Amino acid sequence: MADTAGEKKEYWRWQENCWIDETKDWRAAKLITVGIDVGSVSSQAVMCVDGELYGFNSMRTGNNSPDSARNAIAGVLDKSGMQMENVHYVVGTGYGRVNVPFANKAITEIACHARGANYMGGNAVRTILDMGGQDCKAIHCDDKGKVTNFLMNDKCAAGTGRGMEVISDLMQIPIAELGARSFDVEEEPNAVSSVCVVFAKSEALALLKAGYSKNKVVAAYCQAMAERVVSLLERIGVEKEFFITGGIAKNPGVVKRIEKILGIQAIQTKYDSQIAGALGAALFAHTLVQKQGGAAKAAA
Amino acid sequence: MSGLFDQFKEWYEKRHDYARAWKSRTGGQVVATMCTYTPEEVLIAAGMLPARVLGAHEPQNVTEPHIFGMFCPFCRDSLAQGLLGRFDYCEGVTLTQSCIQYRQAFASWRMHVPTVKWDYYLPMPNEVQSRHARAQHYAEVKKFRDFIEGVIGKKLSDADLKRGIDIVNENRRLLRELFEYRKETNPRVTGVDALYASLTAQFVDKAEHNKELKRVLAELPKLPNNREEGIRFMTIGSENDDVAFMAMVESVGSTIVIDDQCSGTRYFWNEARPQDDPIAMIADRYCERPACPTKDYPAHTRFDHVLKLAQDYNARAAIFLQQKFCDPHEGDYPDLKRHLEANGVPTLFLEFDITNPIGPFRIRVEAFLETLREEELF
Repeated sequence: MADTAGEKKEYWRWQENCWIDETKDWRAAKLITVGIDVGSVSSQAVMCVDGELYGFNSMRTGNNSPDSARNAIAGVLDKSGMQMENVHYVVGTGYGRVNVPFANKAITEIACHARGANYMGGNAVRTILDMGGQDCKAIHCDDKGKVTNFLMNDKCAAGTGRGMEVISDLMQIPIAELGARSFDVEEEPNAVSSVCVVFAKSEALALLKAGYSKNKVVAAYCQAMAERVVSLLERIGVEKEFFITGGIAKNPGVVKRIEKILGIQAIQTKYDSQIAGALGAALFAHTLVQKQGGAAKAAA
Repeated sequence: MSGLFDQFKEWYEKRHDYARAWKSRTGGQVVATMCTYTPEEVLIAAGMLPARVLGAHEPQNVTEPHIFGMFCPFCRDSLAQGLLGRFDYCEGVTLTQSCIQYRQAFASWRMHVPTVKWDYYLPMPNEVQSRHARAQHYAEVKKFRDFIEGVIGKKLSDADLKRGIDIVNENRRLLRELFEYRKETNPRVTGVDALYASLTAQFVDKAEHNKELKRVLAELPKLPNNREEGIRFMTIGSENDDVAFMAMVESVGSTIVIDDQCSGTRYFWNEARPQDDPIAMIADRYCERPACPTKDYPAHTRFDHVLKLAQDYNARAAIFLQQKFCDPHEGDYPDLKRHLEANGVPTLFLEFDITNPIGPFRIRVEAFLETLREEELF
């Protein structure tokens, strides 16, 4: 996609983010644990000190899982001045979970998102929608964040984060602006009829030719995505203590439309929704190392 | 179980080579059988080798002109094997009525597989619970016997049929004996082992299969049962010969201890009861076997049967292996799921296609396992 100056511009590129809680001193901590979530589109490393969030790094997944995991943790280590030797336990999650070279254990992202949502949204959270890069999960959990039931979308990645990236590039609208732009329309359009990325692209182009504004096309795509994930949620049932994780949770164009269809307001959080899986992994790591008497060390 | 089940594995992997070698060795006819309601006893009595048509789990592009893409993957894969000439050693093909999709796959087989010399459609009643079903099926099995006599050019005596029944009954008995080992804690027989044994029974000469089963059964008690069983699973569905999937499930902390599938227990669970008339023995046996959903109405007899299997084999949870577009099984699913869960057996639903994505299935299975395990993470 070229802009007017002929320079290649990546509208889909979302903001990578590395953060450390400067109010905490990791050197005073008894247990330092890390969760690494290597997803299909993004990778996160979350560090917990004594079971509390200390820092995270969220970045785009590279072309292999081990390097993505290393790069993700490197950001947090650099920013904190910590060495890998200081970390007691690492849990890998996400589709690349078994390829995190320094992980002590792999746990599915379904369990980790539930645990992370429990931390981020509180122990009232019962239904979680994880909208990831290439899949979507509806999860039920108990007051501890233990999964009691779950459902994943079928094999196709339609209506997931990657689809939103493609629409962002196609419309030449930065991905972070898509949500707000989708509400800047005179009337709410019907959803595009397919969330399949290939068909949706064709349909979006056809709508532009038919006179739709870019914002209206984005609104139609956000609505389609919302309807798709709601159909997944309704198969498993939605309780009002509802929480959304994953990258698309940052897109109000999708989130507000989901809330409108369901008639439920999702629980708000001060945390970055994209780190839920890695955060859950780091919290599991804390529990596991505690059960081992705190003696474990991250794998070499 | 390293080594002990290698013969079954080899038969499974080289099933076409086996059938060709059998034919060359015996001079007998090989008959492609579609659906496990086929009365193999009659074919065996006639000196034939019934060879169940199984898919190859490979992408294919040959069935679209013949049957719809929304027919179940097993139908499409089975038809593809015929169209691709993989069963070119079979003189005959038979189908006993079960579902309409498979019937159309069979119709296409008989029309478009050029090596087929004869075919037979056996219209078994689907409403086996009807008071007329056994009499009707008796008449149909009798007609099948007459037809096969025509194919081989000689009469099949009652003694021939009894011999066929005996050998198939022995196979059923031995398979049940083998499956008994799956009740053990840390079972010596894994789900993959059992699948190889029950699948190969459906295309290997029964006498040979029985001999191998006896050898395995004699060796089994000598082996330690020290494999960590993890979570004990039951599988439920129609046909399943996806060994890679089964191996994946058993590699992530579980053991498949029992099934309700036509590639497993539904094929061999009940024997033909002793009666004077061998045709009645055969006809009744197929009416009485654990029902496929196509033949399980108006009462749902299989719901309690499935639950009893889960309980008898101490299955902690069940995985539905749903062939995409298989309407009979999908129709049963909501009620059967409720029935199992109401009785303490949690379930997971997976939708199967001709090829299955092991990675995404693995996530689902592992997540299911995490929900079942004790509070190790909390």
